Amino acid sequence: MERFYFWPTNPAASIFALWVVSQIFLYAARVPMHRALREVGRLLGGVFRVGARWCRGLAAAAARRDHEMIVEMGKGDTEAKIGREFHRIEGAFAKELARYPDLHRKLDDVVTKIDADFQECATAAPAAPGWTEAVAAVAKMPEEIQKSAAAGEKKALQEFRETTAKRHKILSSMAPAWKEVQKIATEVSRAVSGALEATKRIDGYMTSYEQVRADDKNATRAIGWNATQLFVVSLLVMAVAMGGAFVNFNLIALPMSELVPSGSRIAGMPVATVAALVIVLMEIAAGVFAMEMLGITSFFPKLELIPRSRRRIILVVAVGGLLMLACIEASLAILREQIVESSTALKASLAGVREHPVARTATSRIPVIGQAVLGFILPWILAMVAVPLETMISTGGHIVLSAVTGAMHLGSMVCRLGGHGMRYLCEAARHVYDIYIVIPLQIERIVTSGSRQGTVGSVGVRGGARP
Amino acid sequence: MIRTSVVAAALLASSCSSGAQYAQAVVALVDVSGTYADQRPEVVGVIRKGLLPKLTPGDTLIVIRIGSESYTRANVEASMTLDVRPSRANAQKLALANTLEAFSRKPMRTAHTDIRGAMMLGAEYLRETNAGRRTMVIFSDMEEDLPRGVKREMAPDELKGVRVLAMNVKRLGPDNANPMAYRARLASWEKQLTSHGAREFKIVLEPEKLADLLDEG
Repeated sequence: MERFYFWPTNPAASIFALWVVSQIFLYAARVPMHRALREVGRLLGGVFRVGARWCRGLAAAAARRDHEMIVEMGKGDTEAKIGREFHRIEGAFAKELARYPDLHRKLDDVVTKIDADFQECATAAPAAPGWTEAVAAVAKMPEEIQKSAAAGEKKALQEFRETTAKRHKILSSMAPAWKEVQKIATEVSRAVSGALEATKRIDGYMTSYEQVRADDKNATRAIGWNATQLFVVSLLVMAVAMGGAFVNFNLIALPMSELVPSGSRIAGMPVATVAALVIVLMEIAAGVFAMEMLGITSFFPKLELIPRSRRRIILVVAVGGLLMLACIEASLAILREQIVESSTALKASLAGVREHPVARTATSRIPVIGQAVLGFILPWILAMVAVPLETMISTGGHIVLSAVTGAMHLGSMVCRLGGHGMRYLCEAARHVYDIYIVIPLQIERIVTSGSRQGTVGSVGVRGGARP
Repeated sequence: MIRTSVVAAALLASSCSSGAQYAQAVVALVDVSGTYADQRPEVVGVIRKGLLPKLTPGDTLIVIRIGSESYTRANVEASMTLDVRPSRANAQKLALANTLEAFSRKPMRTAHTDIRGAMMLGAEYLRETNAGRRTMVIFSDMEEDLPRGVKREMAPDELKGVRVLAMNVKRLGPDNANPMAYRARLASWEKQLTSHGAREFKIVLEPEKLADLLDEG
């Protein structure tokens, strides 16, 4: 500051002189300065406006893309569900229809049998004609003949009872046949109701499919919300799985250094660590293939096209590999325990501790067994990560695009605010400028108003002089 | 496609490197002159408890005596590069601990103290290891007393990249009487060593801190 002093020995006078010079200069430059500030304000406002427009356009494009993606996702999902239902119906019908001739024949046999039984039970021994009259006539006969008649009547009654019992027997033998008919009817009913339920479900899916195709807002919003929910759940499951992977990695990283010499490094990481990481990743890869072959996930469309027998081979290979890796991990976990024990003993020995009670109490086999079991189970749990991984990938696009849309909207708002802010800031700068040179401005105002009054007065005098 | 493969292969090859640059090499200079010779058991104890457990497979530890004329291979008491297999490395550590134990019991006392000679020898060994982290731990009162006719002039980059940790196990009587002289001596060493390329010169008072300082690298 002192460099600008006119009289370094007299700072007050120098500052005053500088102030006067600045007042004169700024007063003289007032109009162009105002114009410049206005232009700067407009320029900055324009830049921010362009930025806001760009953000808005990007947000709209992202939202459009997201919408398209949701619609496609909804369509694909519903198509898959309908396809699955048709597949089920096809399976059920194929099974039931294959059984139908057999069922029909069985039912026919049973009905024939019932019919025959019924016919048989309908044939009863006819009563002798004029029997009552004969009995009445006989009643009038002497006692011997009456006795003979009574015996004949008894015999006839006995025969009637026997015939009735036989008919009852035939009827009771029909009961299993009726039950069989009832059972067959129930089976048929179950198959038919299953098919009806499936058609109802297909109906529902078709309705939602039509809604999606018709670009129904509620349907697409529901699909979007569903995708978000799925993403969050998958993310949580993935986080848990990553925790498992971390535990798994730590379990095998130390013993891997016994198997893989850690002399060299890859990107700063010891080879043993990289090898442990590769094993964990291999487990995940094997899990992905196993899930793919089981038809739970569909990462690779090509694999869906291969024949069932080959799919089974790949499944066996994947599960076998997983089993092998699980066994390796279990053995590495045991090795780890041995290394840790050895290191503890070494440290105690180096420290000159002859007795180390902690190490002694830890000689129980429980930690070793626990680690081995953990080493065996963790690969299988990691293998299941394929399912949330697929869900996360399929729903991730929607999440990313939604986030981009939100961020762009926010950016647009910030740009608009920035544009307004810049405009008002330049306006404020103009006012501050005027405040700084308020004295020359006031002088100007007084002079201007004085001269105007003088002009008005002189005009008035002249006017007054005018006739 | 071919170009991409070549670039990928080159990147992979450049990312693979020897573990030496990530390994640590430690040279421990043990003063066996004058009254300091009696401190050997304590020094060995510090090495066993503080240095050895901190070494990992691939690391190197060299123990050099500071005697009357230290710039000789005969002064190397023990030298070991740990095997990459942890179990073998543990066995090596145990063997070295036994060697040092024997060294601490060996009757030994020299008339003069050639610190710079031991430093120069240690620096050569450190350079040879090509380790990424090089540390020199000096167990001495840092009072140099060269025999007549012995000259020790270090090259300007003698200790380039070496971290020097000075640990005074026992403070000598004159140092107790005049701490300022002791501090001035240490300051002079710091100036001298840093001028010869040492990355850092640090005084360690507590043996427990030594392990932490090694971890800091």
